[in-house]
Amino acid sequence: MEKNFKQTSRSGSMAWLLQRISAVILFVLLLFHFIVYHFLTQSRSVDYLQVMKRAQSWWFPLLQFMFLLTALYHGLNGVWSVLEDYTTSKFWRLVWYSLLLTVGTILLFVGTLTIIKLYTLKIA
Amino acid sequence: MAKADISVKILRFQPEKDKKPHWQVYAIAVDDESTILDVLNEIHWQHDGTLAYRRSCRSSICGSCAMKVNGRNVLACETPIHRFGSKLKIEPLSGFNIIKDLVVDLEPFFEKLKRIKPYLILDKPLPDKEYVQSPEQLEQIGESTLCILCAACSAACPSSWPNQDYLGPAALLKAYRFIFDSRDDGADDRLEIVNDKNGIWRCHTIFNCMEACPKKIKITEYLSRLKVKVVENSL
Repeated sequence: MEKNFKQTSRSGSMAWLLQRISAVILFVLLLFHFIVYHFLTQSRSVDYLQVMKRAQSWWFPLLQFMFLLTALYHGLNGVWSVLEDYTTSKFWRLVWYSLLLTVGTILLFVGTLTIIKLYTLKIA
Repeated sequence: MAKADISVKILRFQPEKDKKPHWQVYAIAVDDESTILDVLNEIHWQHDGTLAYRRSCRSSICGSCAMKVNGRNVLACETPIHRFGSKLKIEPLSGFNIIKDLVVDLEPFFEKLKRIKPYLILDKPLPDKEYVQSPEQLEQIGESTLCILCAACSAACPSSWPNQDYLGPAALLKAYRFIFDSRDDGADDRLEIVNDKNGIWRCHTIFNCMEACPKKIKITEYLSRLKVKVVENSL
């Protein structure tokens, strides 16, 4: 009788809330991205120096890092909740979770490196 | 009423002789204003007495005759055949074990329903007369009380198909109905039950339940309100 609804002792409330919060943050950041990249700079041609100047202003790496973090969390958490639906065995859940964690860590590392590189690059 | 020639393809499964379900086609003539249930009755009474299906009230109240017709979960008794044309494909509800033909085992469905304590829990003394509810308090739960437990929603939910441990939309809607009932005192208990990976959090707002509900209950909306309530309660 119990097996018809197996309580897991795991609540999903925090994951759900964080998914919503990260969605709102992503929406605001995307809006900002579109305004800055596609509307404010639309009428004039943008050259390398201008892009690098923007990339090396104090707010740019902060925003990009926030973007990276929230997009990674939102995307991977979404994939994880789908995988949890379709994978019921503990072993395969562990495999998928480890894989997502590894992919997330690698992408976070590569993304952070790129942001730092852009910020510290010497403009000729 | 004019007669209509229709082709009815039914997924048959007779446990005493079949290893797995198979399709059987019936070519019959019925009144063009017939319902799906009329069609099944016609087959059962005039063509093939071995066909099994559930029916009772014929008024879309008992919830017995939920089944899948041309890919959509409907109540056979209230669904006219002209909605689907002259070719019908009738299957039992998805996600449940088939007992025979269109009859599925709803035991797990009702066991899940029992888990959320689908009755009024009262800590306070009983009033002398009836409980008074304001129109606003009634409005909060009004539509959710219309559920007839036909299981069309749970059978339409993709999160339910691979995971038999998930409570499912019908049980969760019933939880909403009591948690938001101003007369009830068992909200904390029920919130704890639904706040589980296999409870409300398995719902991904897919809207299939809402589309399948023959009573047009906004199930997904109520489940979203329940999620907010669970989060508020656990913060």
